[in-house]
Amino acid sequence: MKWLAIIVTLFVLFLSGCWSSDEIDTLAINMVVGIDKSENGFIISHQVINPRAIAVGENASESPVVLFEEEGVDIDETISKFVSKSARKTFNLHLRMVIIGEEVAKDGIKDIIDYFLRNNEYRTDFYIAIARNTTAKEILKILTPIEAIPGVDLYNSLELSSQRLASTKPMRIIELANTIISEGNNPVISGITMDYKGDIIPDSLEELQKSKNIIKLVYSGMGILKEDKLIGWLSDTEARGVNYITGNVVRSVGHSYYKDDIKITYEVIKSDSKITARLIDDKPVIKVKINVLANVTNVTGELDVSDMNNTKILSEVLENRLRQICEDTLSKVQREFKTDIFGFGDTIYRKHPKLWRELKSDWASEFSKLDVNIDIIVKINQLGEITKPIFMKGD
Amino acid sequence: MVIKQDISQSIIKNINMLKESYECSDSLEIKYFTLESENELLCANIYFKDMVDKNSVNNLALEITDIKREVSKCTMKVKAETIKEIIIGFRQIKEGDNLEDLYSELLMGNCVFLIEGNNKFYSVFTSRLKSRSVEEPGSQSVVRGPREGFTEDMGNNVLLISKRVNNNSLRMINLTVGKISKTKVALMYIDGIAKKDIVNEIRSRIKRIQIDAIQDTNYIEELIKDDPYSVFPTFLSSEKSDTVSSALFDGKIVILVDGSPFTIIAPATLFDFLKVSEDYYHHFIVASMMRLIRFITFYFVLLVPSLYVAITTFHQEILPTPLLINIAAQREGVPFPALLEALLMEFTFEILREAGIRMPRAIGPAISIVGALVIGQAAVEAGIISAAVVIVVSFTAISSFSIPNYEMSSALRTIRFIFMILAGVLGIYGLFMGLIILWLHLCKIKSVTVPYLTSIAPLTNQGLRDGIIRFPFWKMKYKSLVINKSKSIKTKPKR
Repeated sequence: MKWLAIIVTLFVLFLSGCWSSDEIDTLAINMVVGIDKSENGFIISHQVINPRAIAVGENASESPVVLFEEEGVDIDETISKFVSKSARKTFNLHLRMVIIGEEVAKDGIKDIIDYFLRNNEYRTDFYIAIARNTTAKEILKILTPIEAIPGVDLYNSLELSSQRLASTKPMRIIELANTIISEGNNPVISGITMDYKGDIIPDSLEELQKSKNIIKLVYSGMGILKEDKLIGWLSDTEARGVNYITGNVVRSVGHSYYKDDIKITYEVIKSDSKITARLIDDKPVIKVKINVLANVTNVTGELDVSDMNNTKILSEVLENRLRQICEDTLSKVQREFKTDIFGFGDTIYRKHPKLWRELKSDWASEFSKLDVNIDIIVKINQLGEITKPIFMKGD
Repeated sequence: MVIKQDISQSIIKNINMLKESYECSDSLEIKYFTLESENELLCANIYFKDMVDKNSVNNLALEITDIKREVSKCTMKVKAETIKEIIIGFRQIKEGDNLEDLYSELLMGNCVFLIEGNNKFYSVFTSRLKSRSVEEPGSQSVVRGPREGFTEDMGNNVLLISKRVNNNSLRMINLTVGKISKTKVALMYIDGIAKKDIVNEIRSRIKRIQIDAIQDTNYIEELIKDDPYSVFPTFLSSEKSDTVSSALFDGKIVILVDGSPFTIIAPATLFDFLKVSEDYYHHFIVASMMRLIRFITFYFVLLVPSLYVAITTFHQEILPTPLLINIAAQREGVPFPALLEALLMEFTFEILREAGIRMPRAIGPAISIVGALVIGQAAVEAGIISAAVVIVVSFTAISSFSIPNYEMSSALRTIRFIFMILAGVLGIYGLFMGLIILWLHLCKIKSVTVPYLTSIAPLTNQGLRDGIIRFPFWKMKYKSLVINKSKSIKTKPKR
């Protein structure tokens, strides 16, 4: 009886096994999903890895990725149809990017977000970008130099540019969904486009190898979404302003002028912001306090930065420059787009929930009239390896 | 049982009986001599000519001539008893009164004396049997520390141990095991440190053994093991005198078997199998690191191949993307599923390992060439096996050799196959189910009444101090209380 029980248990354990097993060589590893609009629905593109081309020691004559596309009315239905084009099961758990076509974004992306969140074949660690002035399919076509897999290239360069330049915002699907749901906040998504400085679109390996003059993928600007619909674009500098205000700057660089002829280049090495809401005459006032730690990386002109008094000048120059960036961004968003992408509404809600109940029904217009004070404190950390500019005359 | 045949008073009758019943007249050498005094006494010296040490026999012959001269001078009546005393001198001597014992003495290479009118035989040790000299053991090599290893001669081994223990509280219980072979077995412990219960338990278990013959300590281990079906060794085998003596000082009991250089130490916990004597011969930080490596390789041997199988067939998502692409590229065109691939390669490694031990020394290099080139390189180049599997298998193999105890590493390598199948069928879920069962099993088994996981289950402070990390000697004040008798002090606090 005891043995029977053991045997039955083993059967139960082992017979249920294996159902979800997939050998690696039966999978089509999908790196990027592109979603475009078509006349009667969507065009979905998959950028699938061709492992044979990446194998070490193999002669890389094949393209490292293969583009599959399919048209259909519904997203899931369209994606399911890929099976008929490829002998391998699409493996989405390593998906790096979802590129949404600009046209789709203008129509709204709620159903796309629902699909990616609901389906258990996706993780939530991919980034989302909007194809600016082009379609997602065109973006997926392009092969990248150095990094063989364009999806990985896109993912890494989005992360790097947000950390080093602060001109992009890597947006994951959960954060995107949260900001869309939130009444006092709206999402921004980085735009991806082709730089038309080259003249050849590298959509095959020959062209990638042949020419130095190829078109490359570049992140450009930030798309502003009102709830889930794209309504406009911010430039790179304005995107940086958004990141300064929302405290998303890790590192950044910029330059400014003092007395018109002295150019100061700075490198922000640390920045954080604190958004607080106050009531003045029953009207909400937002105060944004930004603390910046910066290094001076370049000084051209007659300014002895090693002088203590001049250090004060330096930080003032930087403060003015950063304040200008932030205020320009703020006024453009307030006036042109009337969409709260900074989460000021959420701040008011947290601090003054009663007031928020009155404001939220007409938040868009309230936001455009909102009084926002930006207070920037810059601390100079290092002046670089040398103190005085070495070409400075005098003394 | 054959009824023992008594020796009669007549020499001639005895010798004829011997020749008749054992059919050994060819090789038997019989030297008659008479002692003359008042009376004449016929004696015979019997031995197998190929089995005795020539020098001892020559010496014996000279002595006999001396004795003859001495006896002829005196005027007393010569009796068997006096002769016995004269012949033997300080020599080791055995007395017997039946033919069977006589024959077995002859088989040992000893000389047997028969005296007319006396129904007893006296045997003198003249065996040419030589024991191996003390050498460095092949199985437990060290960089630093004592190198002397045991030999097949038990007396020699006992000497090596008592030289190290050097204390009069060392006790030795002599037993014999084997209905036919009558092999000598010794049980050693230090009185006052070892727990008496455990000593008595082992002694009574050995006494209960019913077997015809034993050749090695494993016979005893298998016959007195607490959980005979468990693949894990519960007796620590060792052929080094320093390991054994330090085990004695820890309150353990050592079992020696005549004819085997391997002693077994009990009770032994899982951690003892991952410790080596060298841990105590190096600085404690260095020793702890080495020990940590061994504890990690314990898991590597068990889990690396099965993790590979589980991840590549079930959980591709937990790999970093570049690694996934790399493995996918390697597996491109490999005709086997990952489980079969890994099983094949692990099996191949086992064959290579077995062949490496069994083959004649002279063709050793052939195995490594065939193994490395044919199976490693050619199989990968031909695309039959992916390079990742070869890496996984070799990594596991190297890990398994870093486990100091051969029985333990064999046990782990055996269980590894079960884990691979579990991983191939159920993925990491199966792997963890296997691990849970494994740890339940380890919690259950005992080594001579002591739980196998002593020092973590049951948790003991002192056990932990000499567990994964070896504490400095001045921090290891007391010995583990579960195994030994009293809170005896091992080392005094430094300051």
